[in-house]
Amino acid sequence: MVFEIIDLKKVFGDRTVLDIPHLYFEKGIMYSLLGPNGSGKTTLLEILSLISPPTTGRIRYNDRDVVFTGNNLTPLRRKIVMVQQNPVLFTTTVYKNLEFGLKIRGISKKEREKIIEGSLDLVGMRDFMNAEAHKLSGGETQRVAIAQALACSPRVMFFDEPTSNVDVENQIAIERIMMEINAQKEISVIFTTHNLNQASKLSRKVISLFEGRLVPSIYENIFRGKIVRDEDGNGICLIQDKIRLMIETEKTGFVRLSLDPCKIEIMKDQYIQHGKNIFKGRLIQLTYEHDHIRVVVDIGIPLNILLPVDQPRNEPLIIGDEVGIFCPSDGIQVF
Amino acid sequence: MDLLIDSFISAFLLLWSLDPELYFIIYVSLKVSLSSTLIASVLGVPIGFLIAFREFWGKRVVITTFNSLLAIPTVVVGLLVYAFISRRGLLGILDLLYTQTAMVIGQVILIFPIVVSLTIAAISQIDVRYRKTAMTLGATPFQTALVVFREARFGVIAAIIASFGRVIAEIGISMMLGGNAKGYTRTMTTAMALEYDKGEFVLGVALGIVLLLISFTINIFFNYLQGRSRA
Repeated sequence: MVFEIIDLKKVFGDRTVLDIPHLYFEKGIMYSLLGPNGSGKTTLLEILSLISPPTTGRIRYNDRDVVFTGNNLTPLRRKIVMVQQNPVLFTTTVYKNLEFGLKIRGISKKEREKIIEGSLDLVGMRDFMNAEAHKLSGGETQRVAIAQALACSPRVMFFDEPTSNVDVENQIAIERIMMEINAQKEISVIFTTHNLNQASKLSRKVISLFEGRLVPSIYENIFRGKIVRDEDGNGICLIQDKIRLMIETEKTGFVRLSLDPCKIEIMKDQYIQHGKNIFKGRLIQLTYEHDHIRVVVDIGIPLNILLPVDQPRNEPLIIGDEVGIFCPSDGIQVF
Repeated sequence: MDLLIDSFISAFLLLWSLDPELYFIIYVSLKVSLSSTLIASVLGVPIGFLIAFREFWGKRVVITTFNSLLAIPTVVVGLLVYAFISRRGLLGILDLLYTQTAMVIGQVILIFPIVVSLTIAAISQIDVRYRKTAMTLGATPFQTALVVFREARFGVIAAIIASFGRVIAEIGISMMLGGNAKGYTRTMTTAMALEYDKGEFVLGVALGIVLLLISFTINIFFNYLQGRSRA
């Protein structure tokens, strides 16, 4: 186990932005922290990368408690590096940017040169070695920042939204680099993303966060809704005032709920019936992912559905089709 | 108009002839101003850096106080220091009044808040991501501070230059604490004031030309550095 979190809380003013009872990360595995903006992903990453202390709770690194006071952190920080969202490079050359982490580790000049060249090679930026860092484009800066982190030979690398501000070409390159870092260099990689496809595609384990709390990762369709009652006292959850979902719950007021993507059923236009928790929508995405097919249907809100690859189908699904979806009550969880 | 043209011509001739009195006045001005700028910078830059870099209780009050002191009039500093170093003052025994040292003390008090405030401003505008980057790359707190300082270097140098510009052109402190003694504490500004009183314009205009040249050079350099710090 490389990291373990126990009863961790981060509070800003009177707002608890992170509340995680227990979470652990195994060595050498690529993890993604998935969640919308404001779900606490970056805060968690900054705590794990030992840049910011938690308000309460414990962090264990390699089965030892991390102490956030005094000079204990610097030796630990030298084993873990974080590449920030929109990273900045020091106002000097690319070479000197990479040299910084090596110099403070007391690595010899000759060795430094070798490591810097190797790291820039891995991210495809060797030609920019003597370029002024602040003149690089966003994607190039991101790649140099990865090389800068990589040059420090970390055991764990954190990436905060690594492709959120780069073009498609750089996005593909960065995803490839992350996979190489994890597979070839055996570095544990933990990255944040709000992109479900990226999380599923790159990471072996997806950790879902919503409003600072862990939510089970199988529940990918997480929404905020309001419970109201009809005249018969039945519970209806209003999601974004667009979707009325019949649910059985004792809760009232605002709740979070998730719809299990493996349990949602999809039907073609001619088979759509009217009934409880059946909604019409348009198929907007079809993706092949490891052992299932991801279907995204817009029913006023985007809904993810996972279908087994080998499931027999009467008719093929085509993007743009009008389809019906059914949310069975055993696939709805309110929390 | 003729008076001004004649004065200008005579002033250029005076500068050209390397008049010893004129150049000694320039020398005293530069010596006193550079000394006070150096001392104020050595004290003010680290303090400004610490105030900007560290979080502590009452930080806003401290910053506001330094910002308020930017507008302190030179005559107020002159009076304050005079009260301490005059014969009857607490430090009267040191016999500092009407010396270059007294002028330097006064000028340091004048520009110390400028150095501190502008250093705080320069450090504060450095993106917090630089600090985080240095930390995550394994820098110690001291190394992280050096990274932030390095990123703010143009702003800090601009702070020092602005302070030098303030003291080279001030007159109140030089007059009150230096006493405008010929060949000892006479500076460009005090000499110009004296020449004006005498109705003699040649030396005054010559010194004015030098002072303007220095001010121009400083401002050009200051603007250049400000541009660099924003780049």
